[in-house]
Amino acid sequence: MIFNELYSAYYKAVSEVIRTAADHKVSAGELRHIVEENAFSESVLAIEPALREQRWQLLYEDGSTPLTAYSGMPVTELEKRWLRSLYTDPRIRLFSDDLPSYLEDVQPLFRYEDICVFDRYSDGDPYDDEGYISRFRLILASIHSEQPLEIYVRNRHDEPIKVIMLPKCLEYSEKDDKFRLIGECTGLYVNVVNLGRIISCSPYNGSFTPVKTSRSTTDTLEFDLYDSRNALERVLMHFAHFEKQVIKTASRRYHVILRYDRNDETELLIRILSFGPLVKVTAPKSFILLIKMRLERQKKYIPAANEESSGN
Amino acid sequence: MAYTELIKTFSRIRRYLLEFYVYGFKSREEYNRRSSRSYDDERRRLESLLADNIRCRRTVESKTVYISVDSRTGEHNPFFRVLKAKSFTDGDITLHFILFDILSSPDISLSLSEITELIDERLSGFELPRTFDLSTVRKKLNEYCREGIIIGEKRGRSIYYRRSEDIPPCDRDMLDLFTEIVPCGVIGSFLLDRTENRDSIFRFKHHYLNGAIDSEIMYGIFDAIGNKCFADIVTESRRYNENGSILVPLKLMISTQSGRQYLMAYDTLSRRIKPIRTDRIQSIKTAQPCPEYDRYRSLLDRMQEHIWGISTESVSSARMEHIDFTVFFYADELHILRRLEREKRCGTVEQLTENTARFSADVYNVTELIPWVRTFICRITEIHISDKAAEKRFLDDIQTMYRMYSAAEERHDIQ
Repeated sequence: MIFNELYSAYYKAVSEVIRTAADHKVSAGELRHIVEENAFSESVLAIEPALREQRWQLLYEDGSTPLTAYSGMPVTELEKRWLRSLYTDPRIRLFSDDLPSYLEDVQPLFRYEDICVFDRYSDGDPYDDEGYISRFRLILASIHSEQPLEIYVRNRHDEPIKVIMLPKCLEYSEKDDKFRLIGECTGLYVNVVNLGRIISCSPYNGSFTPVKTSRSTTDTLEFDLYDSRNALERVLMHFAHFEKQVIKTASRRYHVILRYDRNDETELLIRILSFGPLVKVTAPKSFILLIKMRLERQKKYIPAANEESSGN
Repeated sequence: MAYTELIKTFSRIRRYLLEFYVYGFKSREEYNRRSSRSYDDERRRLESLLADNIRCRRTVESKTVYISVDSRTGEHNPFFRVLKAKSFTDGDITLHFILFDILSSPDISLSLSEITELIDERLSGFELPRTFDLSTVRKKLNEYCREGIIIGEKRGRSIYYRRSEDIPPCDRDMLDLFTEIVPCGVIGSFLLDRTENRDSIFRFKHHYLNGAIDSEIMYGIFDAIGNKCFADIVTESRRYNENGSILVPLKLMISTQSGRQYLMAYDTLSRRIKPIRTDRIQSIKTAQPCPEYDRYRSLLDRMQEHIWGISTESVSSARMEHIDFTVFFYADELHILRRLEREKRCGTVEQLTENTARFSADVYNVTELIPWVRTFICRITEIHISDKAAEKRFLDDIQTMYRMYSAAEERHDIQ
């Protein structure tokens, strides 16, 4: 079972308290700090008295412990089975070439073929390509060591360009099945590079002054939603991964405020269009204009039925 | 019962979690399935467990609670925290740590009575020492044997217990990634808790968090699939009535674009393969082995050639439905052709001219494609759907959109 006290934050916090107490007497302040770091915001209200009042007989009054040999809990069978499952996933090759011997006799919790991600795009990154794998591993190491990289990448016109970048993080999209490197660059280059388009990369040891961009690229989209054809649940689930707020304005009518990255505006536009007439964008004006332009273009092929009755 | 931050039964909080995350506009009075006291307790619990991700909105009439997460800026799924809040007894936690203090290394192997004696020794320094009888200690050791953290070995008439061998530390980067992108990722989070805290170098786009709420259900699904068994599944209907079915779980279907997961299962009563949303499953229990499992699984694999999403039945009476549409693109819009190719799934794409391409597909349920077809609005030159009612609805919807965004849009509300 997954929902099990063995994995609970309380057990983790108490584990740290015991390890600390085995080394030196734990003060009240230190105990509170350990609990705050390892459990939840109200946990100290439960854990501190339970230990102090000796309902959990693990700590003496003076902050020492009778458990001086405690060395933690071994990895459970469930944890091993989940780890074993990763080795049926092609993306594991980014990290490991072989199945570890300690997992050989472990039955996987699930196999890659037991799952179907049915709407993932089919042109994902090549996880079995040795060049891609070695570039991925170099980028990982460079992020940790804060090592700038010299990267040759194909731009959108398929031309190779050079980018000098201090790599910061890797962004993965499950929909695209692609990794993108995000970092700080010199000059005017966009600070995002698709790993699948990288031709080569190597450590850069020249002088390097990255340009930090301070302009926020976040914008706010607002739209009205009428709950017909199960639209409410479908729309709100679809946009669940955005920071958003929903306000009920009338019976079956809702107003949604959603924050998005301006760089993803076109993608958001087509996602809004996918809901057809169930969603009506109310702000910003620039977004409404984009929708109108698309609809105007569409009229060339599917004419408006009755221009007079629309009030024009 | 006094309030506690910890959770006894996850199913109680599961529905609140999903509704706060997806909806977040209901007031206390609108959660009328249970008592208001129940709502207050669960809300307080989630405010404590999810801290930074819980927001409140107050109006004159009410206060509403919602969970807001921008999954591109955060690191690990905050819902994992809720799965780390299982309640336990004072005896559970005390016995746990004492046992692993006694069995601190895999070469220490002790009998039940030896262990119980050492437990008493550990507790002897307390003013009112707790006692654990043999039966309680045996039950706990057996529980830990089932978890794989303690190994019981028979020697003569006694069983000797020792802790299991640990494994080398896992690659933290590997855990940081897979925890977020494979099912039951919370288990990866358990492994991460054993490592030194360090910021993850991964960020995630198009990343839905609600799958974590169904982790226990997915575990049950995989158990049945892995053992090729029937399963007793209890689901909730729209009216939240419970009904039971004997099903054969075949595959987990995951959508990266809607945030939903589905179990594809063979229903032995209707003799059809049907999708069931995992967030609608209340419980799942592996039953007896299914002798026909491989045949049902092969059937699903063949059917997938005509399944766009998860639906295996049409709205019309036809067994199979056809759709084709043509798009126009300019010379500098070749990315449209690439889009069609990468997003076509079980369909086919044919380039007709330098500036046009046709997508076509034969599927069980054509209505599943309609939202995707709409993403090509502005360049659809023609469309044909065998279900004429669906075709008419698509064209009518486009007309409605024209009116919604026309110059007279103030007079025309959403439909």
